[in-house]
Amino acid sequence: MKARVEAELPFYFGPGRELFGFYHPAAAVTGTAVLLCAPFGVEQIRCHRLYRQLAHALAETGLPVLRFDYYGTGDSGGETKDFDWVRCMADVVTAASELRNRHGGGRVLAFGTRLGANAALAAAQAARLDGVVAWDAIADGSALVRQYDSMQEALKVDLNRFEYARPDMDVSSQWPGFVRGDHLRDQLHALRLLDPGITSAWLASALPDEASLLPERYHQRRVSVDVSPRWDDVDCLEMAILSHPLIDAAKRHLKEMA
Amino acid sequence: MHEQAFRFGQARHLVGVVGLPAVIDHGVGVIFLNAGMVYRVGPFRLHVELARRLNALGYPTLRFDLSTIGDSGASGQRLSRPDQVVADVRDAMELLKQQSGCGRFVLFGLCSGAQNAHAAAHADPRVAGALFLDGYGHRTLGQRVRHYLPRLFSPTVWRHRLTRRHAEAPATPRANEPAFVVEPLPPAIVREQLTDMLTRGLKLDFVYSGGVARYFNDIRQFRECFGRLADHPGISASHFKETDHTYVLSGDRQKLLDHVEQWMGRHFPLTRPGT
Repeated sequence: MKARVEAELPFYFGPGRELFGFYHPAAAVTGTAVLLCAPFGVEQIRCHRLYRQLAHALAETGLPVLRFDYYGTGDSGGETKDFDWVRCMADVVTAASELRNRHGGGRVLAFGTRLGANAALAAAQAARLDGVVAWDAIADGSALVRQYDSMQEALKVDLNRFEYARPDMDVSSQWPGFVRGDHLRDQLHALRLLDPGITSAWLASALPDEASLLPERYHQRRVSVDVSPRWDDVDCLEMAILSHPLIDAAKRHLKEMA
Repeated sequence: MHEQAFRFGQARHLVGVVGLPAVIDHGVGVIFLNAGMVYRVGPFRLHVELARRLNALGYPTLRFDLSTIGDSGASGQRLSRPDQVVADVRDAMELLKQQSGCGRFVLFGLCSGAQNAHAAAHADPRVAGALFLDGYGHRTLGQRVRHYLPRLFSPTVWRHRLTRRHAEAPATPRANEPAFVVEPLPPAIVREQLTDMLTRGLKLDFVYSGGVARYFNDIRQFRECFGRLADHPGISASHFKETDHTYVLSGDRQKLLDHVEQWMGRHFPLTRPGT
């Protein structure tokens, strides 16, 4: 185990080496690899440890893994305001290609959370993904925009956080923790859930928020997981999400697809 | 600006990102320590924003994860946590020295990161300065007076108490979440160690946010905590009363970035700026 952890490599890749990635080689190669697509903004930071644990769990079962940060997020280049939905999907394609190069071709599956799930689903064809496991994918982009706006409004008057309520100008053009451009707001408004037309599994938290409520046509494929990330709760912005049930469910579905 | 990711450390157990300016000054590098359990990018990417600002000015930087936090693993060494932190910071300094040539370092830490920065700054002579965000400080009589006196004469507070009405109270106290906390050093030890650091010539900056009003609520409290040390030219303190503990608002982060830039420029001026 220790030797494999040492073999895990952080690196920059892609055009201009702007994207940060973390490759987890598998003990025994099975011909299939997994791309982990992170959620956006504060959700990405909250899920960081969970993604690392999932990567380890998958690598142990023979699935090499690439974790990466989209442009404008995490350790990747760009400012947060540069995060753009079209670029995000292009980054999924770039990362899938990088993963193929590293593990020597073969099938590539993806796991994504929230907008990360949507990015994987939307880029599935261009990235030549063979299957996607989605956790709390965004079913209604407008609801997500309303949720982020409402959280930002709640932050403004959060007297558990601030000594005094903050004026509008201090919180405008931001979603919790991050500057956002109007462009992104428009892009997310228009976001709808895309069925990728490939093998997919739909994990749903026990108490999903409005933005990730799956439409009826997905109900038969929906798998409820005992995890409560409280995506819409401003009290949880700094709270890491750790969940063995989620890791077990994601691993099981990815292994079935492999 | 150029960033490169590394696995490093005596047991290759640490993970970090080195940021280099276009022109390396070979002077002072800045190392970012984890804020609590948040991985190396910092709360709301604070460390990334600040590291890149400093790179653009000409300072090399390293943001990394301490043992068992973020992407870093365990060292396999049988060290106490405080000793492991100091060992990890030494590994970090070695990496940044290899990559940039700088031999002196400034540590940046928020919350438990400030405690860790304090320990490493006290232990290693290569540390030339430290920025402590919501670092050491303790409740004083003045802090209690400033906290309770306004409430004593506040009709609103009395009205709420007498009527037990909470409709006007805009915030419900947050329930305590389970958390791992490190017992802070006793104030006398902190003072003694700060005195040692200042005698060695370190430059120290304390920034307190409004998010820690439970133990620090006015800039006057710095003197109440540290007495004559507050007059030392190598030490400075600020109180960003309007900000929260993790700088969730971008304007607050920019204010902090400006503050750090000015402090670095004052104490560690570059001879050859990076841009």
